Amino acid sequence: MRLNLVRGCRPQNLCSSKSRLASRGYAFQASGSPIPSVFNRRTKWLQKERAASNPELSRQADYLKDEVAMRVCERLLDIKRPFARVLDLGANSCNIARALTRENPDPDPSRPESPPLAVTSQIEELVAAESSASLLHRDADLPFNTCLPSLKLTRHVLSDEETLPFEGSSFDLVLSSLSMHWINDLPGVLAQINHVLRPDRPFIGAMLGGDTLFELRTSLQLAEQERRGGISPHVSPLADVRDVGGLLQRAGFQMLTVDVEDIVVDYPDTFALMQDLQAMGEGNAVLGREMGGIGRDVLLANEGIYRALHGNEDGSIPATFRVIHMIGWKAGGNQPKPLKRGSGEVNLKDILEQK
Amino acid sequence: MQPKPRPIQRFAQAVSKCSAEAAVYGKCIVADYNSVHKDKCAQEFLKLKNCYLVG
Repeated sequence: MRLNLVRGCRPQNLCSSKSRLASRGYAFQASGSPIPSVFNRRTKWLQKERAASNPELSRQADYLKDEVAMRVCERLLDIKRPFARVLDLGANSCNIARALTRENPDPDPSRPESPPLAVTSQIEELVAAESSASLLHRDADLPFNTCLPSLKLTRHVLSDEETLPFEGSSFDLVLSSLSMHWINDLPGVLAQINHVLRPDRPFIGAMLGGDTLFELRTSLQLAEQERRGGISPHVSPLADVRDVGGLLQRAGFQMLTVDVEDIVVDYPDTFALMQDLQAMGEGNAVLGREMGGIGRDVLLANEGIYRALHGNEDGSIPATFRVIHMIGWKAGGNQPKPLKRGSGEVNLKDILEQK
Repeated sequence: MQPKPRPIQRFAQAVSKCSAEAAVYGKCIVADYNSVHKDKCAQEFLKLKNCYLVG
């Protein structure tokens, strides 16, 4: 904006504006392009509160979050380090805490039962941060909260999931499972995660991305197109695997690992799928979506199209959840670093040709 | 006491009785899903809707 103004004015004006800039006593970062808002955070919060208001239904629909939380935590088995203070960002109903306190997370018949991950990783404090208070406290009186005396579980209600209220360099590990796909300012949040981590400590996260729910997306599009002659967004736009690597790098993480996992769940019909999504608190919260529910005609058409396009032979319908797992380390310590450009002494071509 | 079924559940149950009509409608759309326009399969849809309204 300022550049345009400067370019438009005469040289003497340019000089005066330059001197004004030079007299400024502090450095600041020019704001980049405005952060695009994709999701309505308040709608998302309402959906989560509403989902948690029916604990029974909400617990039934926790299968996906529990499964992914487990897979996220299993990655801790590969890192032989103690993590005293851990942050779970976007905790939902503390699925990560449940996964960390689970007995025998590494089933191996040749070995005796392994202790819970919170014990092997020597976690002393787990801060579960989530914007929806009801969802966060839904399972506060279940046994997993207190079954490990060595683990202190703190619940922290975030007023805004996109600004972390924690001190810099105060956590040994940040975990996040299935909540980052609702964040508008993903680069900003990743940079904040990097900020709250101590040097040389990892961030391990999982979010929905890529082709998640592509079946529902396509069939709803076809149904709306045919019934009403136009489409409105029903499934969120999601980050792709390619984007995630770039985002992590931009936030300053080192030694990145990004991988994808498809979880396909079969449902009896599209209504069961949509009800479960609602009970998970994963309803549509895209800004600019059409308000109100989907009309009956479209739902009816959607049921037929989903089955014809994607249905299984046994009459059930599949729904794909593509989970993007990411690991990034905050720089620091004696972390292995890439060598300087041009410092290699062995030609890779020679090695590859020998084989 | 059983809780009152949600409207969507009653809707789902009514629709489940019309799987034949739904399949015909679905086939009609999927036959050429690159050029779907409004009321492309209006007849098939009306059959499906009639079946649902009767049920």
